[in-house]
Amino acid sequence: MTRKTSQDHVSRRKFLIASGAVGAVGLAGCTENTGGDNGGGDNSGGDDSGSGNGGEDLSGDVIIKGSSTVYPVSQAMAEEFQKQHSNVNVTVDSTGSGGGFKNHFCPGNADINGASRPIKDSEVEQCSSNDVEPVEFQIAGDALTVAVNKNADWVDCMSFDQLKQIWEPNGAQKWSDVNPEWPDKEFELYGPASSSGTFDWFTENVIGESGAMREDYEPTEDDNTIIQGIQGSETAMGFFGYAYYEENKDAVKALKIKKDDSGTCTAPSLDNAKSGDYPMARPLFIYGAKSSIQEKPQVEAFLEFYLNKAETDLVKKVGYVPSSAEQRDKNLQKLEQAASGN
Amino acid sequence: MATESGTRDQSWFGDTGQISRLPGRVFAATCLGATLFAILTVFGLLVYVANDAFRPATADPRWHLVFFLTLVLPSLALFGYYVARGDGESWVAATALGIPFFGLLLGSGVLLLFIDVLSVVAWLAFVLAVLAAAVVIKSHRRIRPAPGFLEHLLVIVGSLGAVAPAVYFGVVNLPVVPTPWLIYLLTFGAAGAALAGLVVARRRSSDRAGLTAAALVFAAAAGGGLAVSAVGIEPEIWVVLFTFAGVPTALYVESVLRERERPVGLLFPLVVVVGILLGAFLVDTLGFAGPDSWLDYGFLTSADSRFPEEAGIYPALIGSILMMVVVAAASFPIGVGAALYLEEYAPNDGALGAIVKLVQINIGNLAGVPSIVYGLLGLALFVHWGGLRPGIVIVGGLTIGLLILPIIIIAAQEAIRAVPDSMREASYGMGATQWQTIRRVVLPEALPGILTGSILGFGRAIGETAPLLMIGAAATVYTPPNGFFDLFSAMPRQIYAWVGKPAHEFQYGVMAAGVVTLLVVLLSMNAAAILIRNKYQRRT
Repeated sequence: MTRKTSQDHVSRRKFLIASGAVGAVGLAGCTENTGGDNGGGDNSGGDDSGSGNGGEDLSGDVIIKGSSTVYPVSQAMAEEFQKQHSNVNVTVDSTGSGGGFKNHFCPGNADINGASRPIKDSEVEQCSSNDVEPVEFQIAGDALTVAVNKNADWVDCMSFDQLKQIWEPNGAQKWSDVNPEWPDKEFELYGPASSSGTFDWFTENVIGESGAMREDYEPTEDDNTIIQGIQGSETAMGFFGYAYYEENKDAVKALKIKKDDSGTCTAPSLDNAKSGDYPMARPLFIYGAKSSIQEKPQVEAFLEFYLNKAETDLVKKVGYVPSSAEQRDKNLQKLEQAASGN
Repeated sequence: MATESGTRDQSWFGDTGQISRLPGRVFAATCLGATLFAILTVFGLLVYVANDAFRPATADPRWHLVFFLTLVLPSLALFGYYVARGDGESWVAATALGIPFFGLLLGSGVLLLFIDVLSVVAWLAFVLAVLAAAVVIKSHRRIRPAPGFLEHLLVIVGSLGAVAPAVYFGVVNLPVVPTPWLIYLLTFGAAGAALAGLVVARRRSSDRAGLTAAALVFAAAAGGGLAVSAVGIEPEIWVVLFTFAGVPTALYVESVLRERERPVGLLFPLVVVVGILLGAFLVDTLGFAGPDSWLDYGFLTSADSRFPEEAGIYPALIGSILMMVVVAAASFPIGVGAALYLEEYAPNDGALGAIVKLVQINIGNLAGVPSIVYGLLGLALFVHWGGLRPGIVIVGGLTIGLLILPIIIIAAQEAIRAVPDSMREASYGMGATQWQTIRRVVLPEALPGILTGSILGFGRAIGETAPLLMIGAAATVYTPPNGFFDLFSAMPRQIYAWVGKPAHEFQYGVMAAGVVTLLVVLLSMNAAAILIRNKYQRRT
């Protein structure tokens, strides 16, 4: 700006005001332009899981979909991971195991899918037709819990056979149909919807045929609905993951389970599930997309964190059985193989 | 009339020769019952949720007593006095309290958006780019006062398409830029000062008064910023909050005082603020514990957590705000454009008229289509066809924009239809063309109605959950979206996720806090709609 003496004193005054304003702005301070991005001041810091990416500043998305049973575990992992890598955006969603594979993971829109049952062949096919290769990690164990109303004092223990009679297609209508000593009242049944991995596990292992379930029960994706339903009626019955039972121990009564008539009745608990005494203990999985593991360092780092932490008390606090040290080492080896492209 | 005895036509009045008033009374009582039932159920629900969110029972009873004495009693007494006077002071009081309150709310929203989401430098570049384009258009007007339509259009397109982007990228890539708070001062502070100056200049019909007002406002924004930074508060916060809350309040107070229009009403906000401060000071010094609310500062500023005490709504709140930006930008211009065409241009008769009628009916039908269907539509349209990632802000915003588009079209049509034909005819009679009539007569007259209807539509949009489930907005997101193409979660989606959690604290406490937050945002939007409507209705 050149200083030009003008005849018009009004414009000189204007110039003075303008230059004064510019000067004030200059005095008050300017700052170096970092190019419009927001700094990146947070770094990944000390990573106690011994991650290979410890020094790098990770960023980007990690998208987790899938089972509502695994959802609380993934959520806890994401929360802890986020504390160390605040630039990584981990999103966790609960879509049901099958829903996650079909709509999100196999079409290539998710990095990780939680599942409360192993992936099905049809799902592997769908994935591979989209060039998605799932890598399986067993991360925890669950004690699938069958519950009845608090006032149902006639029943404490059930065998697989009795459960099958109740839940199989065209199953028993009244309690007395299964056991004459039980009351002559109709069942009110609540259970997971068919998109759920819990549904698949139950039909496969208890009823004995995948997908075979009676149709006149109340299916829902929301386990709290099952608990509320059981609470509301004396003749109700339902099943769900152990974490939901632990939060609602006062509200519903869990049944002991025996595999066959000669077996012993075992109550659902994390210890019984870990020891293998509880017959309805089942493994929980997460599936990583191989391409995501290879191409997105944040996904690999997150999985490494997840698999390490799956062996700790964190999982127990959520309400599931942590994986064993052996299982963890196996998982980490699998991850390393996937990352290196084998 | 009711007891008039009939002599000429017995059958009409019945045998008694009297008309019974009973059916009318029963009908009135039924209507009253329905009204009371509706109000009480909704009110009961709100009280229930608010109780879960704030848990007033956990506070020390003496805490309640202190605030009752310092805040509730004086303000109720004063308001009662206003109402008893019945001279309109209560309206002044409510406005004087409402303007700073909603100003603070809006300012906080802007701050949240700017601190975490948008880059300050990009914002400065955007403002300068728009200014540069405006200057080019204006100066072209001045140099060539009567350009042809094409030339005019060319200048507009050129300045928006070439000058603005050039300025934008020039500024973004400057090596040295002003510090953030100066940018806020030069954009928000200067704009607030300019607006205040214009308003005062028009009110007092004096350019000098306007200039003084603008200078005062700008000086207050700058001086206040320096002052608060001296005590350790970031000056950005001052500049933005002062612009959004302080300036409108000052303007309102100025107008009330100057016109001597029931200035007693201005006492009310003072009593409320002093009551809050005094109460807070007293409970702090006396050591009375406040309620252990779920909804507190930490809830609004932190991300979700598996521990209910630490869970917050912040990323979802930002997600909702960003999504609403997309919704408004997508649905408002399209909706108003469609409404203008249908009301002003579309043929009324013949085969084309029949098609228009069919379109009209189906817009009404679309407004009633369940929202989950729009979710499916959005998934198919934007994700499967459009190739956008599922679960990002722009997909959510466009999908919900589609959902409220029919509502906006219908509201805008109603508003345009309400403009009397005599005004259009008068405009034609003066020799105006149809375009001039629409631009200068119909649109300004219909705008308050259009805005009111649209804001009510946006209020519906912010609470929609089902479409978000369909387009894959995640249940849990730990970082707020940084832009329109980032993964996001919105408030209703987050609330839905909390309800599904095993722990009771989530299902009742945290969820209630989320609902109250959502309701406050929603009610603020509706209040803004009511304010706009009242302002323009009183003018006419």
